[in-house]
Amino acid sequence: MVQVQARIATHESKGVTLLLIGTALLYLLLFLGLPLFAVFYEAFRKGWELYWAALQEPDAWSAIKLTFIAAAIAVPANLVFGVAAAWVIAKFEFKGKSLLITLIDLPFAVSPVVSGLVYVLLFGAQGWFGEWLSAHDIKLIFAVPGIVLATIFVTFPFIARELIPLMQAQGKEEEEAAVSLGASGWQTFWRVTLPNIKWGLLYGVILCNARAMGEFGAVSVVSGHIRGMTNTLPLHVEILYNEYNFVAAFSVASLLALLALVTLLVKSLVEWQAKRSGEPLHHG
Amino acid sequence: MAQFKAHSVLPGFNLALGYTLLYLSLIVLVPLSALFFKTATLGWGGFWEVASSDRVLSALRVTFVTSCAAAVVNVVFGLIVAWVLVRYRFFGKRVVDALVDLPFALPTAVAGITLATLYAPNGWIGQYFAEYDIKIAYTPLGIVVALTFIGLPFVVRTVQPVLEDVEAEVEEAAASLGAGRWAVFRRVIFPALYPALLTGFALAFARAIGEYGSVIFIAGNMPYISEIAPLLIVAKLEQYDYAGATAIAVLMLLISFGFLLTINALQWWVSRRGVR
Amino acid sequence: MSITIEHLNKQFGSYRALNDINLEVNSGELIALLGPSGCGKTSLLRIIGGLDVADSGSLLFHGEDVQQRDARERNVGFVFQHYALFRRMTVFENVAFGLRVKPKKERPSDAEIKRRVHELLSLVQLDYLADRYPAQLSGGQRQRIALARALAVEPKILLLDEPFGALDAQVRKELRRWLRRLHDELHITSIFVTHDQEEALEVADRVVVMNKGVIEQVGTPDEIYATPASPFVYQFIGNVNLFHSRDHASWTGQHGDAVAYTRPHDIDISHVQQDATALPVEVKLVRAIGSVVRVEVSTQNSSELIEIELSRERFELAPLANGDKVFIRPRQIRVFETGAQHELSAA
Repeated sequence: MVQVQARIATHESKGVTLLLIGTALLYLLLFLGLPLFAVFYEAFRKGWELYWAALQEPDAWSAIKLTFIAAAIAVPANLVFGVAAAWVIAKFEFKGKSLLITLIDLPFAVSPVVSGLVYVLLFGAQGWFGEWLSAHDIKLIFAVPGIVLATIFVTFPFIARELIPLMQAQGKEEEEAAVSLGASGWQTFWRVTLPNIKWGLLYGVILCNARAMGEFGAVSVVSGHIRGMTNTLPLHVEILYNEYNFVAAFSVASLLALLALVTLLVKSLVEWQAKRSGEPLHHG
Repeated sequence: MAQFKAHSVLPGFNLALGYTLLYLSLIVLVPLSALFFKTATLGWGGFWEVASSDRVLSALRVTFVTSCAAAVVNVVFGLIVAWVLVRYRFFGKRVVDALVDLPFALPTAVAGITLATLYAPNGWIGQYFAEYDIKIAYTPLGIVVALTFIGLPFVVRTVQPVLEDVEAEVEEAAASLGAGRWAVFRRVIFPALYPALLTGFALAFARAIGEYGSVIFIAGNMPYISEIAPLLIVAKLEQYDYAGATAIAVLMLLISFGFLLTINALQWWVSRRGVR
Repeated sequence: MSITIEHLNKQFGSYRALNDINLEVNSGELIALLGPSGCGKTSLLRIIGGLDVADSGSLLFHGEDVQQRDARERNVGFVFQHYALFRRMTVFENVAFGLRVKPKKERPSDAEIKRRVHELLSLVQLDYLADRYPAQLSGGQRQRIALARALAVEPKILLLDEPFGALDAQVRKELRRWLRRLHDELHITSIFVTHDQEEALEVADRVVVMNKGVIEQVGTPDEIYATPASPFVYQFIGNVNLFHSRDHASWTGQHGDAVAYTRPHDIDISHVQQDATALPVEVKLVRAIGSVVRVEVSTQNSSELIEIELSRERFELAPLANGDKVFIRPRQIRVFETGAQHELSAA
């Protein structure tokens, strides 16, 4: 008797349950499901031929290449930084540590547009180093290096943020054990630390890569939108859309949507693997 | 003098810290400091002139009002989504759960053109509203839609783990003391979720303020009506008004910083009240 | 290898973890560092192992100062409290680790490593677990693997931090006897940290009792139990009754402030008054616990309870019941003059 009452009191009635599930699913359908479907629908609206044609355009190809180049530089750069920062923060006690953690998060607090703006202020024609750069015939802004820099900036915290809580939770006893067994610093890192953080590392790399390839605001400010030269995929989408070339715009967009889906899939797999190996990732 | 660093047998401190600080300075700190030096060249008068111009003020108003509205929508529906994902079982739940992160993974430009297409007066969703003479795309309402999309995962992902940690025993205890379901939620569960909801709100809000890519396609970008502050920065840049663009950027940073400080204080106040 | 520690100090911020520590450990000895948590015993162990550095003082291995030597060059085996097994390596790879990371010219061949690891795994009787991962082992098994891993590099000194701390009572007892036997076989100079007096007294050749960063006493288990050097040792090891001079001047035999300690089994009970120092008391509780009988008595005018332990035979010769009026007299008693400090620690 008592038990039946308790069960009723800790669960909602059938009607409320269905209403809540319905509301949640409708909300997600309107804001997530429908847009995702619409990208592909709009892309294939006029058939396969136009879709393929849009993707085979030289400008689209150079956008794809530039997007990969930017990510291929930004992700490893932030990977090395993330590991170094997490090693320092998680394995050592020193003053100013919490300030350092806050500073690493800074790029998340800044608008993407501002992330691009700061590099224009430094390296633009009227920037601090602008005169010196143009005197030496070096072009950073409205050129590939600026795009790479802006991409690094906006993806800066991703990997560090994933690794810091993970390595803090793992403590430093295993590393101390390795050292007391005679291992050198590199041996300790490669044989003990790295295997312990591999899932967290992969997780961070996936998120970092998704953002690096998809970044729009920051890259837009430093790119100059030179077709076939300084356009990344998202910028190419914008140009096509603004030219009312909707099919082409959505065709290119569908590539990016596919990237997002792959990202979500791999991310779920990594989460699942990490959980299975008894080392759930920390999300924050 | 107290030591800077506690002794450790683990190697690599100097190398790793040195690299961390160098990289942080080169990529983040030095560029960001340029923002403030550039603003300083304007002087107080110049800064004030930019800050108090009608167009800047209305852009800031649009940005903060729409961001706030989107964050509120996300708090309400994010809570429901988190609740449903944690408490109920239904077909396809794992896919839905994974899909919640879509806004993190989908490039903002893609979100922007898609939402603009869907919510345009002739779009799949927009057409139903058009019947009632409600325009969504190319109005501030469209900005709210885009910002809601962008901020969707934040509240869900901050509330979810907290909700998982709410012990069934506490609920059962409250129920056994005679509390009805609604009373249990209001008095036992909701207070536990309150800090997470606030955090989720703050994160969604902060992200929305800076958002650019998804908004510009759907906003219509009419000065004084649906022009957001980040777009105004880009506009000033395109006119080579670096100082003006920078001033708006600094203004935005200051306002959102003040706002987050308020949220933190509120959070602190809430958690302190919880302890008492 | 012997260890000599002289005037060792260590401070963490304003907290004095170690205060002028002097200790001599003989070659082949098994030493227990015993004390309550925060007494500095783990700090001392970590300093010996090179995982921490002392602020001042000297640390010699076999007469040679090793303070400037890295942990990896000290040839010390360290067994961590939570084992610190490498979670992504099999048991075999865990034990082989110390051999695999040796510089190329000292590194044994793969076949030799294989032989040595299996030898060690047999020594700890866990050869059949070689391919498992640490997460698949029980606490006791992890403990033994951690020990095998430490032994793999043939350390001259073995340091164990709370080796049985995380295990349940039954496994603890088994493992500590096993550790003693292992030590008798290998004769490596070993130091282990524990907060469990029973463990220290049962396993160690000599026990070092520490409190608040200071060594209170060093001695064989017998000495520590029979002749505690300070009120702290008296209270920390075994059960004890405590008498203040102001109430029991006839026992403490001093006029100043003093405290007397006596073990529950060092008190005689009699139905007749033995002599003038005997104290009239009333029996409050009688309880047989295994081979001993515990009796609680109190004096007429105070509520303080005195604990007495009798062997079963002795009790059966002169049975007692609640409410009996009897006389007690300590066979052995130690008196310590109290400074204000002892008063505090006794309170």
